[in-house]
Amino acid sequence: MSDANTPSDVEPEHEHDHHDHEGPGYATPQAAIEEGDREELAYVMSLYVGTDVDAPDFVAVVDLDPDSETYCEIVDRIELPNRGDELHHFGWNACSSSCHMEGLERRHLIVPGQRSSRIHVIDAKDRRNPELVEVIEPEEVFEYDLSAPHTVHCIPDGEILISMLGDADGELPGGFLELNDDFEIEGRWEPPGEIEMNYDYWYQPRQNVMVSSEWAAPKTYYPGFDLEDVEAGNYGQRLHFWDWEDGTVEQTIDLGEEGLIPLEVRFLHTPESTHGFVGAALSSNVFHFWRDESAASRAADDASGDEPRATGEYRAEKVIDFESREHDDWDMPVPALPTDILISMDDRYLFGSNWLHGEVWMYDISDPSNPRRADSLSVGGTFGEVQEVQGRELSAGPQMIQLSLDGERLYWTTSLFSSWDEQFYPEEGERGSVMLKADIDPRKGTMELDEDFLVDWGECPAGPARAHEIRWPDGDCTSDVWQ
Amino acid sequence: MVRQHHDVTLEWPDADRETRTIAVSEDETVLEAAKRADIALPFGCRTGACGTCTGRLLEVDGAEPAAGDDGRSTVGIDGAFSYRRSPRALKDRHRDAGYVLLCIASPRADCRIAVGASVHTELVDNPWK
Ligand code: FES
Repeated sequence: MSDANTPSDVEPEHEHDHHDHEGPGYATPQAAIEEGDREELAYVMSLYVGTDVDAPDFVAVVDLDPDSETYCEIVDRIELPNRGDELHHFGWNACSSSCHMEGLERRHLIVPGQRSSRIHVIDAKDRRNPELVEVIEPEEVFEYDLSAPHTVHCIPDGEILISMLGDADGELPGGFLELNDDFEIEGRWEPPGEIEMNYDYWYQPRQNVMVSSEWAAPKTYYPGFDLEDVEAGNYGQRLHFWDWEDGTVEQTIDLGEEGLIPLEVRFLHTPESTHGFVGAALSSNVFHFWRDESAASRAADDASGDEPRATGEYRAEKVIDFESREHDDWDMPVPALPTDILISMDDRYLFGSNWLHGEVWMYDISDPSNPRRADSLSVGGTFGEVQEVQGRELSAGPQMIQLSLDGERLYWTTSLFSSWDEQFYPEEGERGSVMLKADIDPRKGTMELDEDFLVDWGECPAGPARAHEIRWPDGDCTSDVWQ
Repeated sequence: MVRQHHDVTLEWPDADRETRTIAVSEDETVLEAAKRADIALPFGCRTGACGTCTGRLLEVDGAEPAAGDDGRSTVGIDGAFSYRRSPRALKDRHRDAGYVLLCIASPRADCRIAVGASVHTELVDNPWK
């Protein structure tokens, strides 16, 4: 693996501006808030996989500049060469974690196909007209006995790490694939066999820790959600804490039944922090995790499956619990299904989306062990109070979310995963996804739907498309890491 | 003598599309043959893991399938197709009901199959509804 040492000469906060460092991104999270420009463009994963529309998935470039004539429009589409990819999550070749790396640029988007295992590299030097420059074919990926690429983060020296959910056959175990700075496969990042299931991950280099979560084997989740698989234990419920430099698992926490399908996992942005959160989608809970330095003197508590060790250990505790709701047309109480969470750049708020209920929410996490509900919006989904915007019917609930660097605008799309969309919101395929926005008042802790904002994937030239993850050209709350 | 090709008829149950019959050789998959004939079928992994390419067997060698309880095909697929690798996206209940993964299946008989995105959605229901 790459040299990801924590530098001892990291400069203190507030002493940087744009010109004080050579590399990409911002010197600190606070610098990102103060120096980051308002997002004027968004890159959004857009897909046709699984439909009868005969077109490849594409990356949409969305105009977010309210002063522009093409505000709320898809102004460019980077079409990929093949059908069948299922674009899902993606990331940059470099972020603020390489802020001191002279010569590195936040320039290339690494765009994996979740179903195809094909990995695309897009050059976004021209922010409005990015261009596809490299394709790593699935066969090259399968050679490393990996498939189903998911989360992309850069390693601070220009290399790229991708969580892979399955082996070459779409079965377990998954692992991590590393690309070098020429976008060639370097190999497996970890010694094989460290984990069985994989999903999202985040690293905190100053603490030499990485955390990874669990969905399931690709063959389990690809076809759709089947309760039989839940009963058979085919879905994940564990968090893995890794030694970031060694690439080995130090500790695994079983979250139990209340932690079923732990998906998006986020550390606080402050590099000193060991606190973070993970949303357990199927159990409709959010867990707080943190490193307990005093663990040696304590007995293992209920939330942790492991024995304490002398050097301290990670703990996880359920801190938010969304109740299922009865619906006249559904046979069983409907779970909330919080499928995405993110932390504001100032580490003050945790945002999330309850895809089935139709809700976006914000919790004040000033005290991370006691999140306090600040506000929520009931929109789309099964119970949303707002079921259309500008006369456009919403076909699904809020799903992937992204927040402006200053924490004042929350955006979201509505597609989860093509086969799961078909099961829970079949209209999504017919009408396409939308992107919506709420204005956030971080001071008061409130959110308000911006009814003037609507981007409609129902009007794409080849037919209605789904929309998934959102990124800003110059860093965002779900991809930037600091050393 | 074993025939090298079989006639495979593709029908889109929920889409307004014309039925098409293509000759599929025994050493190619239905998905590959469809591509050769410029017919777009849905697919994802092309390794038998995702089910995106699922078809449902409607008829084998001219034999009408017996209707099951739900009115869907109950024709066994065993004689109709040979799989290149194991069809991991299909559970036993799916295989018993005549579902077939067209990305890894090569025909061993003339047959008629329901294809298109709507067939994949039959594999799993919304468990809460
Ligand atoms: S395309 Fe994935 S199973 Fe056939």
